[in-house]
Amino acid sequence: MLWQQLANGIAMGSVYALVSLGLTMVYGILRILHVAHAGVYTLGAYIGLFSFRLVGDFWVSLFIGMAGSAVAGYLIERFLYSPLLHLPRIAPLIASIGLFIALEEAFRIVAGPHTLTYNARIGIGDLSIGSFRLTETQILILFVTFAALIFLWAFLTKTRTGLAMRACAQDAETASSFGVNVKAIIAVNFLFGSAMAGAAGVLIGVYDNQVWPTMGAIPAYKALAIVVLGGLGNIPGTVLAAIGVGLAETFFIGILAIPFPRDAVAFIAMILVLMFKPYGLLGKA
Amino acid sequence: MPLLEVSGLSKEFDGLRALDGVDFSADEAEILGVIGPNGAGKTTLFNIISGIFSPSNGKISFQGKTIHRLKTHQISRLGIGRTFQLVRPFQNLDVETNILVASGHPYYPSFRKSFAPFRKPEILGEVQKLIDRTGLRLYARQIAKNLPLGIKKRLEIARALALKPRLLLLDEPSGGLRFEESDQLMELIRQIQGQGIGVLLIEHNMQVIMDLCKRIVVLDHGSKIAEGSPEEIRSNPQVIQAYLGKES
Amino acid sequence: MISGYLITILITIIIYAMLAHSLNIITGHAGQISLGHAAFLGIGAYTSAMLYTEAGFSFWLSVPLSGLVAGAIGALLAIPCLRVRDDFLAITTMGIGFVAEAVFLYTPFFGGAMGIGGINLPNWFGREMTKSEYFLLILLVFGFLLFLDHRMGRSWIGLAWASIREDEEAAGAMGVDVVRFKVLAFILGSAIAGLAGGFYAHFLTFIMPQNFGFGQSIVILCMVVFGGIGTRWGPVLGAVILGILPEIFRPVMEYRTFLYGLLLLAMMRFQPGGILGAESILPKVLRRYIFRPASQE
Repeated sequence: MLWQQLANGIAMGSVYALVSLGLTMVYGILRILHVAHAGVYTLGAYIGLFSFRLVGDFWVSLFIGMAGSAVAGYLIERFLYSPLLHLPRIAPLIASIGLFIALEEAFRIVAGPHTLTYNARIGIGDLSIGSFRLTETQILILFVTFAALIFLWAFLTKTRTGLAMRACAQDAETASSFGVNVKAIIAVNFLFGSAMAGAAGVLIGVYDNQVWPTMGAIPAYKALAIVVLGGLGNIPGTVLAAIGVGLAETFFIGILAIPFPRDAVAFIAMILVLMFKPYGLLGKA
Repeated sequence: MPLLEVSGLSKEFDGLRALDGVDFSADEAEILGVIGPNGAGKTTLFNIISGIFSPSNGKISFQGKTIHRLKTHQISRLGIGRTFQLVRPFQNLDVETNILVASGHPYYPSFRKSFAPFRKPEILGEVQKLIDRTGLRLYARQIAKNLPLGIKKRLEIARALALKPRLLLLDEPSGGLRFEESDQLMELIRQIQGQGIGVLLIEHNMQVIMDLCKRIVVLDHGSKIAEGSPEEIRSNPQVIQAYLGKES
Repeated sequence: MISGYLITILITIIIYAMLAHSLNIITGHAGQISLGHAAFLGIGAYTSAMLYTEAGFSFWLSVPLSGLVAGAIGALLAIPCLRVRDDFLAITTMGIGFVAEAVFLYTPFFGGAMGIGGINLPNWFGREMTKSEYFLLILLVFGFLLFLDHRMGRSWIGLAWASIREDEEAAGAMGVDVVRFKVLAFILGSAIAGLAGGFYAHFLTFIMPQNFGFGQSIVILCMVVFGGIGTRWGPVLGAVILGILPEIFRPVMEYRTFLYGLLLLAMMRFQPGGILGAESILPKVLRRYIFRPASQE
């Protein structure tokens, strides 16, 4: 029983991590709260779903969903955030919120307000040990998240581009004076983060077997709370916070059966942590 | 009794020792120079005196009162004014309004008093006098962010003077100024000293320091390495080493 | 007499104007961003509704009390908000809004998802007020609030707020007790929003948690930003325009929200200072085409 809850919590936390990564990376480099990121997540789910209907293969739909999201993320940066960087912070924030609203509505207008089913078989089979069960989707979620984190870690610490990205997050002006192509770094940042969000969208779509226009709303808020909890721009902190929230939700609701809305847990945790550490769990001023 | 007494002042940031056991005192109507190579801790010293940071160790007293645990606005109300190394006037307010902010210090503590209008003749009169004294007459109604650097620096001084301070902390006031502007600034600082106000002066411009200060404190890597008259400091081997060391 | 439909719109607009004005105190005057302002609308609405339906308080008592309760809770919530800056503040306020909505939704005491109903228009002179009279009442109250805002703008409080908005640290070094004035802004802003909540409850006659969520907070924020953050009339103008827009968009009801989102985008991209803001197009257009300087005659 306990192991099941633990596994569920970590699986949920992994999805949160996939979504939050993009958010924290964008903040780290542009200092913008990319609220529209959740729209990219939903877009991934829809693109994945429609390509699945066309092609019938889960893996292809996952890939196309990720690619579509990546492109969308890139376009958002290029045409929305880039021109707004010189303005006070509230401007890109509101623009992002406006875009998020428009995206949700666009999904409703184009694909209809009803929940669609994403009935894909991944093909690797569930894992069952006695009463403990890990569905194939959960396995894939854990795998994708793990792979993404390893890749990110290796990229950031071992490659030249990764080093450039870390430099940009510290101080973009200085980095560019050292010859770093800041624009390209920002683009890579958005491409990767958005692809992860798209993957999360597809995976959740398959996990719940549901895709609907406002499915990004809850992840939007939660990801923001998680990213603040872990320290804006702090990648390890965000991952820790994401898993933490996933576990907290599962335990508080599943085990302790406290009659409190699951979705508020992230925010309560965030507010509590901010009381003692105003810059997040691992964040620094 | 000295105006300001700093004893055993230390400050650590995340394991970095910015200040280490600094002792000195300053008197009324004295201009005390604070010099040292970059990173010596001079601005940190000012930030602690003015209450932006609290010290890790040590004590600061002003006119006999212990102030190192007070908040910034309390310290400024007690009579310590300051300027900033990188000028920060209130950018979108005009010169007069900038100074008015500081003139409000007697009113802010009381809700009833702070509800009163601030454009009263007596108050404006005082502000106008300050504007004239600091040579800002021409710029009185101009928005701060459009002003040239030299004027912004004078605005910061005028603003700090509106607090009716007994002690003024000036952080590199002549930074970025041309020679004539520097001279005018020195004249202004002498006038301020003439009114009995004590001045702590951080400067990199040695000309200004040697001309204005009878006493100088030298910091390096957070510690005080020398204190004395300009001649003594000029010939102090440790001071020379500290500066030469940085040059290489 | 004015048509019932028009009066309904007018009352909606003036309540939003009051809300936008209250948010402007927190965000425009004191420079503290708040993405959860609808929580105070909700606190005011629920306070008034509960006092009226459960405790039998009359409108004339319940509405002022809703302002007081909202202000008190605003003071409490100012504590976490003051410890954090900028983006952290934005998200914290968003979180507060979220938690508030959850409380309204999940607490049976507040009627849960069904909300509270049976809240009537006030009585006076032995009869129920007409909608037109209700509108005039709110107009009067709001007019007074605007006058208050005008007085505060010329007072040391307004000056302190301006300095905090520009540069908190420098303001402190100039004798301004930053914490005290921020808390004041929070209390005022939330109290007025609570008051608006009271008016809102008695006007709609029933309230539901969904009225007070993140979406509503964004609507209010957009009115402030659209009209011109920090200006006196900007938020009011924003409320008028964005309040009327849904009615204008009625033929394209389907696409209403979509266009709203696009509008926000476009505003930020091309006119971030708002319509009455510093570098806005409107004054320039007016100057050019309507108020031609004499030399060009």
